[in-house]
Parts: sequence; C-alpha cells; structure tokens
Amino acid sequence: MPSVTVDGTDVVVATRADEPILAALCRAGYAYRFGCRRGGCGMCKVTVLSGRIEYRVTVSAQILTCDDVQAGVCLSCRAVPQTDTVIRLSPDDTLRCVAPFLAAATSNTAATRPSPTPPANSKE
Amino acid sequence: MGVMRLGYVHARVTDLTESLNHYHDTLGMQIAATAPGLAYMKAWDEYDHHSLVLEEGGVGLVKLGYKVEQPEDLDVFEKRAQQFGAITERMSKGENLAIGDGIRIVLPSEHVLELYHEAEQTGTATGTLNPEAWPRDLIGVGVPRIDHCLVTTEDPVLLERFFAEVLDFRPSERVVTDLSDQADLLGSWMFCTNTPHDMAFIKGPNGKLHHFAYQLADWSEILRAGDLFAMDDVSVDVGPTRHGITRGTTIYFFDPSGNRNEVFSGGYQTFQDFPTITWTADQLAKGIFYIGRELNERFTSVLT
Repeated sequence: MPSVTVDGTDVVVATRADEPILAALCRAGYAYRFGCRRGGCGMCKVTVLSGRIEYRVTVSAQILTCDDVQAGVCLSCRAVPQTDTVIRLSPDDTLRCVAPFLAAATSNTAATRPSPTPPANSKE
Repeated sequence: MGVMRLGYVHARVTDLTESLNHYHDTLGMQIAATAPGLAYMKAWDEYDHHSLVLEEGGVGLVKLGYKVEQPEDLDVFEKRAQQFGAITERMSKGENLAIGDGIRIVLPSEHVLELYHEAEQTGTATGTLNPEAWPRDLIGVGVPRIDHCLVTTEDPVLLERFFAEVLDFRPSERVVTDLSDQADLLGSWMFCTNTPHDMAFIKGPNGKLHHFAYQLADWSEILRAGDLFAMDDVSVDVGPTRHGITRGTTIYFFDPSGNRNEVFSGGYQTFQDFPTITWTADQLAKGIFYIGRELNERFTSVLT
C-alpha cells in the first residue's frame, strides 16, 4: 500500500486501501490542522511534493480551486494516495504526535510485523 | 403580524446521493420531493411541505426562508427592508416548490433571506387526529424539526439592527468584546418565537454558513444521536456538551459535503420582554463550550 511521508519530519505512514492522507496520519497517532474532514472547508489543505493522489468523492471547486490543483495542493481529508506520496503542511502548521504509543506501534513495518499473541492460560 | 419561524434552509451539497444518506438515513428526515439536482426534505414534526432543500453543486447556503403570519406582513417587511437600504425583489408562487408569493431580501451580510406566507401543508408524520406520540417508523436520529441557523457577517451590529428594525427580532444573547462603551459586538442570538434563537450570527466573512440546527427533546436524545454518528461515521465537530449561550445541550457535526449541522436541546423560553443576556469575550470558551471551557480551532474556523 502507498506510504505518506510528511516533509520536514521523519514520519512515514503506510496507508490502507482507499484511505485518505489525513485518516492515515490520524490512525498512526498524528494530527495537524483539519476542519470538517469531509472536503467542504479547506482547512486540511497540504501540498503534494511527490506522488499521485485521487479523490473518490466529488470535491467542490469552490474549496479546491484550479490554482490549488496546479500548485499541487490537495484536500488531505479526501485525497487518497495512489503511489508513495510526500506532503508538506501549510507553513503555519505543524505535525503533532498526539498518541505516542500509537505512533510507535504503526511506525514503518507494522504491516509486516506479526500481531502479538495473547499469553497462554496457565491453568491449561 | 410578524415572522413566525424559520421555514426552510436551502443548502448546496457536493453529492446529492451521499447527502441523502446523511439527511435521510442518519438524521431521519423524509424526502418530500425531488427534481433534477435537488432534494426537498422534511422532518417528522413539521407540517409544511419541506424545511430543507439540498442543491447539488458546491457547499454552503443558497438562502433561508422565514414564514410570516399574515400576507399583509410581506408588504410591511418589504417597505421596511427597502427603507433600511437592502436590495429586495418580489418572488412568485412556485419559484420555490410548494412555496407561495414572497419577498427576497439580500441581507447586509450578503445572505439571501426569503419571506413568504403560504406553503403547501402536507402535515406532520403523526397527523392531527388522535395522534401517537411519535412516528413508529423513525429512522436514525429521527429529528423532529429544524430550529435555527447561525451565519457569519462582517458587521454584526448592522445585521442585528436589520433583524430588529426590519423583522422585529429581539436579541436573547449577545457576545461583546468587553463592557465598555467602545465594545465591539462579536455575535448576536435573536428570536422571533419563544425559543432562545431563530437566527444567529457571529463576526466573520459575509455570506458564509456556520451551521443549521435540529431540535431534539432532551440530553438522552442528544447522546443517542452521538452514538448514531459513530455508527454512521459522521464527522463530529464538538460535543456532546452544553452551551453557556442559550443553555442548550448540543453536538455539532458535518454533513458529507462539510456543511455543519447541530442537534440541540433545552434552552429557555423567551418573550417580547426578555432581558438580553450579555457574554464578554473573555468568557467565550464557557459561552460556547460550557463543560470543557476550551475553544476548539475547528469550531471557530470551519465555514461553508
């Protein structure tokens, strides 16, 4: 599955199928500025430095303008990476780690690491 | 003589099908009629044809409709609006489906407000003869009625004057920067019914929508709605919490296009002699989020 890298940090997150950029980063324990999470307010705009994204829903041209698209700006709450993608947040925004234990668990190789098995019952 | 209530909200949505999933399946509104690119919806305890019009294409408000008591009121309000300096035009029966003649006004905030007297009455879901307490077949939240709208305006003082002088609304609550004579008005909550507000506005860009709200019966219905939002993956903005302003309990959430909705319950009764409540800006966090008392960046920034 394509990964999302946040430029200027060492954060790389593997996305799931059909998962937008914002959802993947939140699932991994990170947060940055976002609003409605539905594509109607524009607060979650980020610049795509490399990689291809796709929208699975109609996105309003009022919110994501032609100029935005030409400049590589996407609505990260609705943009689904099709290839490994590098994004840059708005200049006045920063990536925050809001759930350190989540961030540790999902870092890089989570998809290949086997899930922990529960301890055997000592009475058996 | 007077404005009776908020009659309809006419909003833009990016995808009509997704919006119907939200407003019909999650919120439980009924579809009253459809037309190409349009859906007319009605909540179960409303008796006029529709209270929500969804128009495919874009996001935000197209216009608001307020119903007036008498047909003569339209002439009175038209004159007052023109004297105030607002742009008005007449609207004919049928320009809006199931709505009669009226007046269309461009508010100082650039929002469009329509006043009308007649609407096709299709009745509530429970009817007027030996009715049950609520409809047996309610879907999702099962919202009974649309209650109010909050918009943004560059000049709250001017918009408040318009609603008071032209439409006889009264302010139940106002947020001011401080208690001095030089204080700025940051927001006003105004009523034309017995509720805390039928229209409200806060300082911000002209023409934008902050939210429109449905009324629920009590806290437990608000909390149940919250659970349904989780089940239906509705994007929640704030809540469940209580507002200091209006005392109402609330959850704010977004429709699939990003338009903000609210489910709201409680408040208090207002009358023509209600003494206006004042909030100072230093208490704004408590005014909006009474329990958490912390301002949320989304709540004050997301507009459509």
